[in-house]
Amino acid sequence: MLHRSRRGALLAPDDPIIKPILVVRILLADDDAARAGALTKVLSEDPSLTILRPRPGELLADAVAALSPDVVLVDMERPDRDALDGIRVVASNAPGPIVLFVDRDDPAFMEEAISAGVSSYNVLGVPPPDVKPILRAAAAMFRHHQIARSELRQAEGRLREREVVDRAKAILIKLRRMAEPDAYRWLRTKAMATGRRIPDVAQEIVTAEGGGAKESLKAREEGAP
Amino acid sequence: MSTRVRIGMLRLTDSAPVVVAQARNLFHALDLLPTLSIEPSWANIADKLTYGLLDAAVMLPPLTLASTLGLRGQAVKLIVPMGLSQGGNTIVLGGDAIKESAGLPPGARLLAWLAGQTGRPRIAVVHRFSTHNLLLRYWLSLTGVDPDRDIETVVVPPEQVVPALASGQIAGFCAGAPWGVTAELAGAGSVLLGTSDIWPFHPEKCLAVRQDWATENPEALTRLLRALMRAQAICDQPDAADSVVATLSDVEGLALPPEAVRSALPGGSSHEQIHFHGAGAAFPAPPHAIWFLRQMRRWGWLAEETNIAATARAVYRPDLFSLAARMEDLFIPPGSARNIAIPEELGTGPTTEFGAFDF
Repeated sequence: MLHRSRRGALLAPDDPIIKPILVVRILLADDDAARAGALTKVLSEDPSLTILRPRPGELLADAVAALSPDVVLVDMERPDRDALDGIRVVASNAPGPIVLFVDRDDPAFMEEAISAGVSSYNVLGVPPPDVKPILRAAAAMFRHHQIARSELRQAEGRLREREVVDRAKAILIKLRRMAEPDAYRWLRTKAMATGRRIPDVAQEIVTAEGGGAKESLKAREEGAP
Repeated sequence: MSTRVRIGMLRLTDSAPVVVAQARNLFHALDLLPTLSIEPSWANIADKLTYGLLDAAVMLPPLTLASTLGLRGQAVKLIVPMGLSQGGNTIVLGGDAIKESAGLPPGARLLAWLAGQTGRPRIAVVHRFSTHNLLLRYWLSLTGVDPDRDIETVVVPPEQVVPALASGQIAGFCAGAPWGVTAELAGAGSVLLGTSDIWPFHPEKCLAVRQDWATENPEALTRLLRALMRAQAICDQPDAADSVVATLSDVEGLALPPEAVRSALPGGSSHEQIHFHGAGAAFPAPPHAIWFLRQMRRWGWLAEETNIAATARAVYRPDLFSLAARMEDLFIPPGSARNIAIPEELGTGPTTEFGAFDF
């Protein structure tokens, strides 16, 4: 039987021996459009790879049955990854047995891919394609996005802290009639004296002012003098 | 110095012992410094245990055994030093036909429903190697239905089973709480029976621990088990339900829907309930492992050379349970010794020890 992964076999024009390039069909199940797009671009540079995507809302198992990929790359954040897990033992329901890719000789590589958040399955029936470089490229892309996201979170955190410091300064300027540089110096001195960070001291001021404002409002409502 | 331990779990009601232990400082009280990791899939839990990114997890017993045997990837040595919960899953069928047979025995209802289906109806379970799948297949066979020929089994994440049923992507499912009740409320299907109707007090989730972590941290393991035993006792008290629901629905944590969670907890309104406490729930009985493994063999999922009794004995560790249970003054069932003889030839059904049921 001629296997499906060979149906798109190409001839390499430059190759003096003229050996066929086997087309590997990769189903990329990743809902992060930017990451999936970037990874598709990287993988598409290899003419022997065809990248397929599931339809939105499509069950992963249905996408595998409909598209007959050779390799499935899955974002580990997807809960439906379980649909491919251990499917090998129930081959009657699958287009072909599906096996989680494992490099037994390189557990460090496996750990790296998993902590980057991507896993790979082979749909068998043919000699499996060389998955390691594909998974390596995917892991690198996932890692890159992970770092970018964590940098974004850090930047957002710094922005929030600056906001808190500004609010604390405004409170000091208003309540203690300080000039702006004095308000900042006051925060810095207090932080150094108590061994804390300036944003933490600022947060304390903002929280105290919030609570105090409510308190005095409550006192007014209850008719306190 | 406190011992660090990384514990994985899914967003499920029966992850309660771990999150309750954390919320009530029960880990801290026993010098443990846990990092709880909420994972989106069972495959993630299994992979992270395999490659040492987690030390322990709230796990499905059959998946724990399958991971140990290398049935889903790289084989990894895991142990089950305690059970975490019993029961809690429901079998739900969609459509109007099933509503009309209310009052008939579940087996008769199933056969009538099947007769009205075109082709092989798709029934969703949460994982191939789940308690749900094995109990469903066991019950289907009892009823005279071949789970490989008469239906198609698909795997759908629990949170997606109700929309999948409503949209017709699946015809029915077997999933944990609260999704059965949720499907009925949404008018998408009817609960046919609970898995506790098939096997009363069946083991549901267990604690799976990497064997190398357990070997390197024997005392911390005992403390981990003790903290979880204390949490299990809290989870099983109807009086504590308000507080347990609050912990499980904390938006910073599992963020589960509060009313649906409550219905499956002890004292709740659901027909199918989860039990957490007592020797029955916490004791990692090797015959339970044997039952799961025998079912897996029955369906042709095990390699011929797999020795069921030896696997059960290596993975299920009542000796480690007993060590911790003794310190907590809990009842320790007989048969807790490591070298207990386990008969390989238990029946294919739940043994009389658990009660045999006919439909």
